Amino acid sequence: MSGAHHFLTEAQYGDSLVHRLDPRVKIMGLMGLTVVSVSTPADAVWAFASYLGVLLFLLGLSRLPLVLVLRRVALVLPFILMVAVFLPFFGRAGGGGYNVGSVRISGAGLLVLWNVTAKATVGVTAMTLLASTTSFPELVAGLERLRTPRLFTLIVSFMYRYSFLFVEEFRRMRRAMEARNFQGRWLWQAGIVGHMVSSLFLRSYQRGERVYLAMVSRGYDGSMRASAPLALRRADAAFITGLATVLLAVRITA
Amino acid sequence: MHIPDGFVNAPTALATGAVSLGAVTLALRRAGRNLGERTVPLLGVTAAFVFAAQMLNFPVAAGTSGHFLGAVLAAVLIGPWAAVVVMTVVLAVQAVGMADGGITALGANVFNMAVVAGLGGYLAFRVLKAVLPRSMTGYFAAVAASSWLSVVVSAAVVSLELAASGTVPLSVSLAAMTSVHMIIGLGEALITSTVLAAVLASRPDLVSSPPADAATRHGTGGPAGSPFGRRGRPAGFVLGAVVVALALAVLVAPFASSAPDGLERVAADKGFGQAAREPIWRFSPLTEYSLPGIADERLATSLAGLLGVVALLGVILLVGRAFGRSRPRVARPDTAPGLHPMAGHEHTDHRHSGHTHRHHVHVTDAPGTGPDPDHLHEEPPGPAR
Repeated sequence: MSGAHHFLTEAQYGDSLVHRLDPRVKIMGLMGLTVVSVSTPADAVWAFASYLGVLLFLLGLSRLPLVLVLRRVALVLPFILMVAVFLPFFGRAGGGGYNVGSVRISGAGLLVLWNVTAKATVGVTAMTLLASTTSFPELVAGLERLRTPRLFTLIVSFMYRYSFLFVEEFRRMRRAMEARNFQGRWLWQAGIVGHMVSSLFLRSYQRGERVYLAMVSRGYDGSMRASAPLALRRADAAFITGLATVLLAVRITA
Repeated sequence: MHIPDGFVNAPTALATGAVSLGAVTLALRRAGRNLGERTVPLLGVTAAFVFAAQMLNFPVAAGTSGHFLGAVLAAVLIGPWAAVVVMTVVLAVQAVGMADGGITALGANVFNMAVVAGLGGYLAFRVLKAVLPRSMTGYFAAVAASSWLSVVVSAAVVSLELAASGTVPLSVSLAAMTSVHMIIGLGEALITSTVLAAVLASRPDLVSSPPADAATRHGTGGPAGSPFGRRGRPAGFVLGAVVVALALAVLVAPFASSAPDGLERVAADKGFGQAAREPIWRFSPLTEYSLPGIADERLATSLAGLLGVVALLGVILLVGRAFGRSRPRVARPDTAPGLHPMAGHEHTDHRHSGHTHRHHVHVTDAPGTGPDPDHLHEEPPGPAR
């Protein structure tokens, strides 16, 4: 199972000041930044610039590749395009406009486009930063300490473990499928995809079941034992107070 | 269908978030109450499965593709409340771990995909199951129809939320979202039915809402000696079909009438009536839900709606029949074309004694996939072991 588990484990890249922060302050800080950014009125352009500035500063501090963030931002593109397509429809109630060829683009429409693009970018960057500098078990431990319901974190941690099995199994099937020149291009081939999905489920379930029973027989009681208990340090306090101060200042003046 | 940050405004985010929070709290309590020893891993596996399956894009017309949602599948497999928890877990992990769907839109996303698609889809499934004949055909018709509905309705809810937030006007987004998802929903219906048929064939004990006859043979998965599923009673089936058609018509009709109206109004307001003659979603055979050559617009609309319903009904009946009939065949281990009923304990022995994975090879032997050459090699150890 070498390599390529890129979908949840980017946290393992690197070690930095940001990586070493307590997961709780990272969760609170970066989620807080996203919430504040979404609540900011769209016309405060410089406010979004400063949110992005803070994120880029943290990104630089964490020495993560910028490509990582760009790839994630690209995921949001379809949604942004969907809004962009409807640009001319917006802004019946005035608000300036521009003519591009024979299409009249309304100013209000542009504002909506800017609004969603800026906020989605800030949100995606913040969450990528969080997920890429915090290992998954740390993230779960942080969420648990922030009083996330027990059943919830339990399912999340099981899901994390099983998802590797699923992805690995799936990759094998896909390779076999491609080796036989099946590409799954048409709707009526969904049935075959369905067969793949169902054998994926059954295989992985049975394996997961065995693993769980093995865990129970070795004394698993539903709690994951962290190797080092979480403890807030001075850097964590500095991070959260600094971030809160900047956010408050920007948001109030915006 | 995952809404990013910034696409829903504060009131919409708060309203959907409050409903989601209530539903998830209730679901956690309900699901936690009957949490057996094996339920936790089943929930975890289902979550991982939905997570992985959502990465699987299946093709839709015209080069676009949709992904599997899995809400109805989860609800039928593990029950509606557990499904809400599982879908919420998946959405939260996607939002935090993969930046797929915004943190501030998490409430809206949970509402659309866990509450509307999961709880709502399960409700539709129960209603259809009660109404349709108690045969395998009826069961799979209910599964197919409710999973189709879950996708279409949650797409419609997404466009409602975007419109309420002032992001995309309803007149355009509703038609675009629902028409695309009506096609995506067919893939969802097919995959959900296939997976359920396979799970019922080999591990019926894992399905929390099995068909009526499977309940009596719980956990055996042996040859089906049931009188159901061979030939559904025609009268009962037709009655059920009519009810499905009515249910669909009730849901399809509003789109059919509102979409062109809304577009025409915007067109008139903005004076681009010419441009509106060629709407961008003109790939549906019944564009604008009207038929050429019929003067009365209302009549044309309802006729078009009726045609659409009949076509959908045909697909759903076909799916139901196909799975209803194939099941007894699948259930026999020696002739199984799809899945081999595998008992977990048996399975372990094979791996540890270093045999080639005969069971695995059987499993991959599903039509179209074929035995996987990789399975002849020793499997590398995984982190979960």
